[in-house]
Amino acid sequence: MRFTFAFFVIIVLLLAGCAPKATKQHDPVFFPPAPNPPRVQFLMGIGDSRDVEGSETEYSLISMDPSKGDDVKFFIKPYGIASHGEKIYVSDTLAGKVAVINVKQKTFQWLKGGFGPGKLKKPINMTTDNQGNLYVADTIRKKIVMFDPDGNFLRVYGEAYDLKPVDVAVDDRHVYALDLSRSKILVFKRESGELVEGLGQDSDNPKENLSLPTNMTLNERGQFYVTNITTGVIVQLDRDGHAIGTIGKMGDGFGQFGRPKGIASDSDGRIYAVDSAHQNVQLFDKDGRLLMFFGDPGFPVGSLNLPAGIVVSDDDLATFQQMAAPDFELEQVVMVVSQVGRHRVNIYGLGKKRSFDYEGYYKESQEMLKKADESRAQRKKENQ
Amino acid sequence: MMSFHSKVLCKSLLLGLLVVTSAASAASAQTCSTADCHAEYIGLANSHSPVAEGECESCHQQVQEQHPAAEGQSFELVAEGAKLCYQCHDSYGRQLFVHSPVKEGECTSCHNPHGGEKGKFLLNADHDLMEVCTQCHDAAAFSGEFVHGPAASGACVECHDPHQANQAKLLKQPLQKNCTRCHADMAEGLANAQHVHSAVRESECTSCHDPHSAPAIGLLQKDLESLCLECHKRVSRNATKAKVKHAALYRDEKCGACHTTHFSEFPALLKSSERDTCLDCHGQDDFSKSKPLKNIAKEIKDKPILHGPLRDGKCSNCHDPHGSDYFRLLRGNYPQGFYQPYTKDSYDFCLECHDKNMLRFPDTSIYTSFRNGKQNLHYVHVTNKYKGRTCRACHEAHASDAEKLMSGEGAEFGSWRVPTRFSKTETGGSCSPGCHRTYEYDREVPVEYAE
Repeated sequence: MRFTFAFFVIIVLLLAGCAPKATKQHDPVFFPPAPNPPRVQFLMGIGDSRDVEGSETEYSLISMDPSKGDDVKFFIKPYGIASHGEKIYVSDTLAGKVAVINVKQKTFQWLKGGFGPGKLKKPINMTTDNQGNLYVADTIRKKIVMFDPDGNFLRVYGEAYDLKPVDVAVDDRHVYALDLSRSKILVFKRESGELVEGLGQDSDNPKENLSLPTNMTLNERGQFYVTNITTGVIVQLDRDGHAIGTIGKMGDGFGQFGRPKGIASDSDGRIYAVDSAHQNVQLFDKDGRLLMFFGDPGFPVGSLNLPAGIVVSDDDLATFQQMAAPDFELEQVVMVVSQVGRHRVNIYGLGKKRSFDYEGYYKESQEMLKKADESRAQRKKENQ
Repeated sequence: MMSFHSKVLCKSLLLGLLVVTSAASAASAQTCSTADCHAEYIGLANSHSPVAEGECESCHQQVQEQHPAAEGQSFELVAEGAKLCYQCHDSYGRQLFVHSPVKEGECTSCHNPHGGEKGKFLLNADHDLMEVCTQCHDAAAFSGEFVHGPAASGACVECHDPHQANQAKLLKQPLQKNCTRCHADMAEGLANAQHVHSAVRESECTSCHDPHSAPAIGLLQKDLESLCLECHKRVSRNATKAKVKHAALYRDEKCGACHTTHFSEFPALLKSSERDTCLDCHGQDDFSKSKPLKNIAKEIKDKPILHGPLRDGKCSNCHDPHGSDYFRLLRGNYPQGFYQPYTKDSYDFCLECHDKNMLRFPDTSIYTSFRNGKQNLHYVHVTNKYKGRTCRACHEAHASDAEKLMSGEGAEFGSWRVPTRFSKTETGGSCSPGCHRTYEYDREVPVEYAE
């Protein structure tokens, strides 16, 4: 009897393992929701390699095709994300691996240099440089590990400095490691690997200094945006170490943060900040004014669950434009990692409906707000 | 069956009766208006046709044999009020708005039923109906300083229908059409212009104009300035409270000096493009004043490098033409003098567009190319707390022959124009100005300066 039950369980599990992935069609999901004009569309979610390589439509208990069945690659606990050209890199902190995803080519592979000296133990966040090299912050190896565009191990940064690197950025001259243990950005010369200085603790205003920083991004102007656990703010500082200002504060209101995590900026200077408490992405303009938010927790299509890393790119708009609603034209592609849930990588498109007059709508909205403000001020004056 | 002879006899009798009746009527009219009786109706220049034809009985009927009666009236009207007139004339009252005398059947409040010496329609008035209309309507409305032509000439019925209409105020057409019926150039402009005043587009001409008479030229309800500022509150605040006022607003033309009032080919209803509007005054030499306006047209002529807003033709990006609290009608704080050390708010205006970080940090690799290595030379010049130089020490505000609006002739420093003598290299440059000896700078390989 016990044997029969065990046999039944095994058969059920086998069948479940071989079951084709259901790919449900859904209406386009836009943020903000109607009646607001759409600015962000959810384009695709990646749970495992099958979502990239294409769903299997046939299955067999005895598969003769080695490319099917047991070759499915799963995430365990993904966290960071980076991109260059068509390639998307997603780190898995528990697996100690980095997935290299190419949506256009429909490929999902593990970074091939991740063994021997390139072996990753706890890859957290990553970045790429203009040449397509990959830099991975590994908190157990306590180094920044560098790979070439083909995924081959090249070198490490920060070996002698006992770092706890949680994020990394790079420009033409320097590699910047966000060190959680020092709450600083350590600047290394890109060629020699020599430590130059540490940034992020020089402001007279304590709020403008880093405080248990977790994620950062470096924009084209040479300015960092860094998320901080303790203060709950985004600190803006430049590569010369000057504090420029802060965005947001701890709280659960619009433009505030519970647990700010991944952060990215786009070529228009917009800032995208992930919050793993609010489980959404908040968008700010270059002056730190909240524009909108998208994602939201739970199970709806396009939702985020314990989101962490984020990257924004316009390198391969053509591939993702095919997934967008017919009249929705993409400007940027936003990729966000969820640590749990059905989809571990959500891909959104920032764009505009071609047929809609956004300028007119925003102008009208601003005028309405202005009038409302004026009438409120007038009432206040009358009541005094 | 009636014989042929019988028919002829009948017709003859009827004809005879008609002739006798007509003769009796003529006899009656002749008897109504004689030299002794009702003589006033004889020989009127404009008689009511029944009067002219002696058809008194078409309106009056005899009720007593004796006339004049010893007691009471021997004649009375055949019908009361308008019903009498509607015997011959079409009746009124089928349109939305009916003139009150018409509604009440008081036709004779305007018309003389027998006729008169002057004009048509028994109004006893020539073309000028003012006397007729002001019997009821207040004459004060037509006696303002400036009177609309039709009102002045009493051509009230050019705009109003005296009996009934489908538009309020008994207008013959909807208000704007009523106006553009004569003001055809306005109709054409409104139809074709790129920019139409919202007051014209969304409301009636009477929002600003009084169609009869007004205290201000252009039949405006108030003087142009007060009228404009009633709606344009922000301009009003600027114009009235600003410390620095734009003289153009206080000349006779007021707002009309720069703006048209109905429509324009240019935004903000300007008379010409924004730059041309400004240069209309600020683009000529004025030798009549001790402190004349600068000739900006001459200043920018043939200069290859224009300040961004000026290049875009937007003088108003920097200057508020309606008044400002800042000198030169600037929209924000920019020091007036030659020296002003940078502080947090002192250069707010320039730093609205230009990166404020340029003046914040003594060292930078980002916010300016005017640096020696990382040493920020903008900071050195402007933030010096004893002798911070304002932007004008090196840069022109409007136009220059050199990049970055570097001053060619040099800044005005009293009676001297201090030259900059700036030259640029791939990674830096040098200055040999009137301020100090020649200094070079280099972003890649910093120059070492003697202490």
